[in-house]
Order: sequence, then structure tokens, then C-alpha cells
Amino acid sequence: MTAFQILLPAFVASLILTGIHAYLGVHVVERGVIFVDLSLAQIAALGLTVAYLVGYDIHTSHQAYLFSLGFTFIGAAIFAFTRTHRKTRIPQEAIIGIVYAVSAAVAILMMSKATQETEHLKEMLVGNILSVSWYEIGKTAVMYSLIGLFHFVFRRRFLLISLDEPEAERQGVNVRFWDLLFYMSFGFVVTSSVAIAGVLLVFCFLIVPSVAAMLFSERLGIRLAIGWTMGAIVSAGGVALSFVLDLPTGATIVATFGAALLLVGVYRVVARGPATV
Amino acid sequence: MKTTKTLAATLLLVGLAIPAQAKLRVVTSLQDLASIAEAVGGDRVETSALARGYQDPHFVDAKPSFILKLSRADLLIVAGLELEIGYLPPLIDQSRNEKIHPGNAGYLDASTGCDILQKPTQVVTRAMGDVHPYGNPHYWTDPENGRVIARTIAARLAEVDPSGKAAFDSNLAAFEARLTAKEREWDAKMAPFAGARIVTFHESWPNFAKRFKLEIVGTVEPKPGIPPSPTHTLEIINLIANEKVGVILVEPYFDRKTPDYIAEKTGCTVVTFYPSVGGIPEINDYFGVFDHDVDAFVKAMIGKGTR
Repeated sequence: MTAFQILLPAFVASLILTGIHAYLGVHVVERGVIFVDLSLAQIAALGLTVAYLVGYDIHTSHQAYLFSLGFTFIGAAIFAFTRTHRKTRIPQEAIIGIVYAVSAAVAILMMSKATQETEHLKEMLVGNILSVSWYEIGKTAVMYSLIGLFHFVFRRRFLLISLDEPEAERQGVNVRFWDLLFYMSFGFVVTSSVAIAGVLLVFCFLIVPSVAAMLFSERLGIRLAIGWTMGAIVSAGGVALSFVLDLPTGATIVATFGAALLLVGVYRVVARGPATV
Repeated sequence: MKTTKTLAATLLLVGLAIPAQAKLRVVTSLQDLASIAEAVGGDRVETSALARGYQDPHFVDAKPSFILKLSRADLLIVAGLELEIGYLPPLIDQSRNEKIHPGNAGYLDASTGCDILQKPTQVVTRAMGDVHPYGNPHYWTDPENGRVIARTIAARLAEVDPSGKAAFDSNLAAFEARLTAKEREWDAKMAPFAGARIVTFHESWPNFAKRFKLEIVGTVEPKPGIPPSPTHTLEIINLIANEKVGVILVEPYFDRKTPDYIAEKTGCTVVTFYPSVGGIPEINDYFGVFDHDVDAFVKAMIGKGTR
């Protein structure tokens, strides 16, 4: 078995994750809800914990998956309906943080009262991109294509709300309804991605390409192109580095993303000066 | 050494396969199992372990070299009892090495034939906390189980490599003789403390306690990974005072905050207990684990009396 065979699944999985997350990242950064994915992932984990304690096998049973999806949708509903506007001064990030902390704590409380063995539960919830299987990759590719198609069809509404919410309201768009759809599809993606790649890596795929692209352009198409290119190159580099230096793959890709953003940022300042475009 | 490794990795990156070697390639999950396999296999095997001795064996972050090692392995030896369930099964699948799949000759569960404690079918005698579905996976902390593991490995090596049977048998005899001598030494050192009551951080020492006639009266962790509640901590503090517990045993990878706090309130001693080879560089083989832990225990208990 060659290095190429070992690393190929991790790299292909990275490409699929980059594809959807670099796009969703544009929305997330524009809305200023940076930590929403961590929060939704935590709710999904709480859902799985509940499923586990009720007695489902969290790897094989469909009920367990439905539990985590159900909890994610509850989270999506919370975020859609607590959208606070400028009238109250409570930022959306506050709600996101509260949901994160409370669902993490509730999961700990439930495990402490469980009668089953909970030793491995934590690691079962968090995937390792190195051990992703081709079956998972195929399944994820199909699911994310459908979500991508859904967002493509309704792109005008989703983008309008993310980029210019007052204008969306003026046009009579039902912002809460579309927000619910956005967070539901987002939660669906994040839950699946975390199971494959772990929380840290998913966060990076979501935020870093989108932030790097914002350094260079305000046009959506260009931003997406930059984000996807960066995601693909950094994933390949990170996967290769993790092999050459024999380091845990997920964490190496995350660190590579950090280094790449730094390089891109320095280039941006040196090449064009600090003035905005 | 390091340069060679990097070089080899770089070569592989370009897609070159490592040339075949005559030695049997044995991969183990724990360094303890690698140490025993090395003693039994001698120069006919080449062993390497996945988890390092200073890592919590339940939580190991997989690296690309793991899959590479597994893909080239002739024999995979695991502790079993779900100890490796968090990381190993997908890696075995990924390695595409039919030989080491569970059920095949290249897969060996070292717990076979060992004295496994806390099985649900067994009568649970003391308040030993929650019950693991297959029994406690930290069984190698009893040197007699080490002997069983060595015999199991010798038998399996002879199956995979029949021409080496004589060598494996004589290596096994030498290992067992050394183990018997060492056990006498450890037993003598531990004898004055027979019946001593101890508290451990995690459920990892029932086999050690049984072997050396210690009584585990409680664990600092109410459940693995769950921070102790105030009630539980208070219970442990009272237990230590009432039962005259002298030491709390803590593995190096656990947080010492709560044990240190309890020790401060009760005057007992927190002892770092290494469950595995490689926990510190001085512990470089299976015997070293007991050499270190027995001495650390004796040192902490001196002047505390047995009860």
C-alpha cells in the first residue's frame, strides 16, 4: 500500500467539505455568526448522547441519526426565531454561545447519570478524516450536491438575507422562514461533516477560505473561486505534510490553513498596501 | 534515526513500496504488547506499537503512519475488550490488509485466556463503579496476565511462522523464567502492604490490586471522563479518612487537580502510576512497568502503616 492510497480518501473528503463549506462560509461570515457551526455541532452531539442513553447504537441505527438531526433542527429553529435585529442590542453570537455552552453542559450531566459505559462516547462523536471510508465519501458527496442544488435554486433569497437584510424585509421576504431553511440545511451539513472530519477541521473549512477571499474581492463569484482554490490547495498540502511529518491529519490541515491565511494576508498588505479595494 | 524515518516517508510519498523483509512484522496497539512480542519473537520479528505509553490508550489520535504500519503488518496484536474501539477498527479497514482483520490468523486479541475482572457475568464484589460490557481492559497490570499474553503470542507466532517455533519456545521459556524471578522480587516488596486500601483515579488498576492484595475502595472519577461532582469528591474524602487510605494512584495523562485537592484535605499521597511501557523513558520494557510502579508505591507508603 502506498502513501497515495492512504491519503487519497482524506484528500477527496477534504475537497467535498471545501466545496460546500467555502460557500456556506460566505453566508456565515456575512451574517457575523462565526461560531454557529460549533453550536449546531454541539447540539447534534447532545442529540446523539440522548440516542445513546436511550439505547440506540450511535453508529449503525437510523434512529440515532434522526435524534441528532432532530436536535440540530431544534437549534436551527432557535437561531431563526431569536434573530434579534438592531432593535434589541443582543447580538446573535450571544444566543449561539449560550446554546453551545448549555448543550455541552447538558451532555456532560446526562453522561454522568448514565448507567452504560460512556468512556468512548466522546471520541465516537468526533470523526477523524484519516479514517473516512469511500462509502462515507460517496454518501456525503450525494447529500451535499442536493443541498448545494437547493441553495443554488434559491440563491437570490439566501444571499439577499445574508448580504442586505433590511432590503430583504423591504421586499417582503419572510426572513424568519428563509432563515429557518438556511439554518436547517446548514445544520444538516455541519452534523455530517463533523462526523467525518471533527469540529476543528470543519470550522476551518467554513471560515478560513471565506475570510481569505474577502481580503481580495467583494464579488461573490470571485470570492467563491478564491475560497475553493485555497481550500483545495491547503487540503492537499496539509494531508501531504501530515504524512511526511507523521502528525495527526486533521490538526495538521487546520494548522496549514492558519499558515496559509497568514501568508495570504501578508501578501495582500505587501502587494497592494493596506488601503481597501 | 529521525533522518532515516523522514527519508523513508519521503520515498513512500513518491509512491515507492518498501522492499519485502524476511522478519515478521508485528504491530501492536500498546507498547506493553510490543515489549512482550519482542521478547518472545526475538530477532525473527520486528515490532512496533501504535499508541505511546504516555497516551491514554482509549484516545489515540490516528496518524498516517498507523495505516502504513497496519497495511504492511503480518500480525496485529490488540488488547481487546473494546480498549481500542475508538480509533482502531476504521484504520484496520483503511489498511486493506486482509491478514489482520478480526477472525484471521494475523489478528490476535491478547486478552484471550487472561484473568479479566469486572465482567458483568462475574459477581461484582466491591463497589467497583460501573460495569464494562466485556470486563476491565487494563488487565496487563497483573504480571501473571503478562505471562498468559506471552504464551498466547508465542503460540500465534508459531502458527504464522512455523519454522520459528523452536526459537519462540525457547524465548518464551526465558521470558517466563525472568518473569517468575521478577514476580518474587515485586511480591517481596509489596508484601508488607498486603490489605492496604487505596483509591485510584480511573478504573485501571483492579488487576494490579488483586495481584498485590490491595483493596481499591473508590475512584476519584465517578465515571470515565466525567468531572467529579462535589458530593462524590466529599464521599472520597470521607472514605479516605475512614478507611485510612494512604495513596491515590493517578495515570500520567489524567488531570491531577482533583486528586491533589483531595490529598491536601486528607494528608494522603498522590502517586503517578504508569500503566504502560514508554510512560517515561526509563520504563523501556514490560518488567520496567512493575519495577517503577512497585517502587513508587513502596516509597509513598513508607511510614503510613498498612491500614
